[in-house]
Amino acid sequence: MERISIILALAAASLRSEFQYRANAISSVIGGMIYQLTGFLVVWIIVDRFNTIGGWSLAEITFLYGMRLTAHGIFYMCFSQMFEIDRVLISGEYDRFLVRPISPLPQLFTRKLRVNCFGDLIGGAALLGFAAQGVSIVWSPLAITFVLLAVIGGALVEGAIQIALGSLSFKFLSTITVRNTVNEVFNQYGNYPQRIFPELLQYVLTFALPVAFVAYFPASALLDKAGEVVVPAWAAWIAPLVGMVSFLGALRIWRRASRGYQSAGT
Amino acid sequence: MTVTRNWPAWVAIARTSIRYHYTYRFNAVIAILFTGLQIYLLTVVWKAAYGDRAEVDGIAIGQLLVYLTLAQLQLRFLQMELDGDIEGRIRLGQIGFDLSRPVGYPSQLLAAAVGDMIGQLPMLAVAFPIALVAGELSAPPTMTAGVGYAAALVLAWIVAALLNMLIGLISFWTLEMSGFRMIYNLVGNFATGALVPLWFMPDALRAVIEVLPFQAIGFVPVSIYVGEPATGALWSALLLQAMWVGILILIIRWVWGRAYRHTVIQGG
Repeated sequence: MERISIILALAAASLRSEFQYRANAISSVIGGMIYQLTGFLVVWIIVDRFNTIGGWSLAEITFLYGMRLTAHGIFYMCFSQMFEIDRVLISGEYDRFLVRPISPLPQLFTRKLRVNCFGDLIGGAALLGFAAQGVSIVWSPLAITFVLLAVIGGALVEGAIQIALGSLSFKFLSTITVRNTVNEVFNQYGNYPQRIFPELLQYVLTFALPVAFVAYFPASALLDKAGEVVVPAWAAWIAPLVGMVSFLGALRIWRRASRGYQSAGT
Repeated sequence: MTVTRNWPAWVAIARTSIRYHYTYRFNAVIAILFTGLQIYLLTVVWKAAYGDRAEVDGIAIGQLLVYLTLAQLQLRFLQMELDGDIEGRIRLGQIGFDLSRPVGYPSQLLAAAVGDMIGQLPMLAVAFPIALVAGELSAPPTMTAGVGYAAALVLAWIVAALLNMLIGLISFWTLEMSGFRMIYNLVGNFATGALVPLWFMPDALRAVIEVLPFQAIGFVPVSIYVGEPATGALWSALLLQAMWVGILILIIRWVWGRAYRHTVIQGG
């Protein structure tokens, strides 16, 4: 319990330090939002002109896009520092983490906050809000709970992949290009109904890189489209669980890899 | 601009830019991979939107796929870093050396941009295969389209360089540009028509984008290549680009005149 309050205090401190430069922080949030919304503009124009993409209506795709973006925003709010692990290891900052009384990973996560995550969160929530009335979902408390669990699960899937890949840095020091490329795949391919991809790619995006679990599977389940995904329908429903399990797996990988840590000597 | 008189200086500056690219070639390959990912996604999404239709609004699916592939590929190679360079040199005060050189600053920048372009050319050997796998490329349908595209590409490059230079010159007044530049890049990227060709944009949006210079970098040349000249005829499309070159040169002259005086006042 005490550990959690320390972590929260660290997180609050990194939030405060970002908002010391208020104008800069606010323009980052707005920039992050515009960045995501231009991506959405493309989808919107195409569906507006052609009515559907892969049988998904504008409201349905907006819902999918909103779920993915919200999940990504949560991921980026909590785990953005995973993208800094190379620098932390090479500069020797990791040595400092080791002499403090809580484990290094939460220290890494609370090292700094990238405020543009709030742009993703606002944008994602707005898209979800717009789409909510247009889709054929009955908004029971159960459905709302599922959406919440699904976006958290989605964030955990992205987090798990980035933590697992970041663990490789203990061995290879620099893995940022691999992680950036994977992040790019999540960011680009996660927003579309995957049935428009060739079947092989759908399997790759399910089992090799679990992009589908971030938003496509849970959105399909809610929208009554679970019949069209490459896994059995029940597997689409347990997407939030997949996020949790893969995150725990990633933590194990991290713990094992970090035992091999040798200070870079700086 | 005094390009001919200062030829050796010009060549030396261009060479430095070429070497810079050689040093960072790994990053360039990664950037091209990202472009490949984007090309693949765009072509798949548009194919899904077309469905069984062979053509929409007179645009055949094959034409559209070549359009998207070439537009993305072309934009990757028309990406310039003059603006960041200018900002960096002002921040560190190195701009003083640049201004004391006997070659005018705008033409130094242009030389750097030319070197930049030449330095990137070997990357085409990586980019073409990736684009072929990710999307679809084919020869232009007619000889005229091919020749027209070549001319339009040169003009597109000039417009891209001038626009980039103009944004960079703003750094003479303020260095807090990161937010502005991000928004500019996003709007610019969309307004080139490389993600959604102007044919398919809603009328209101298209009307706005048609008065901006960005279409001269993407939509105009690429639509010529696939045999659908942007504004009806080939000549008027090229003329539109040339007009933007003229307008941008005038603006840069005016802005540069003020920027230069601005620097002198501060540099006492």
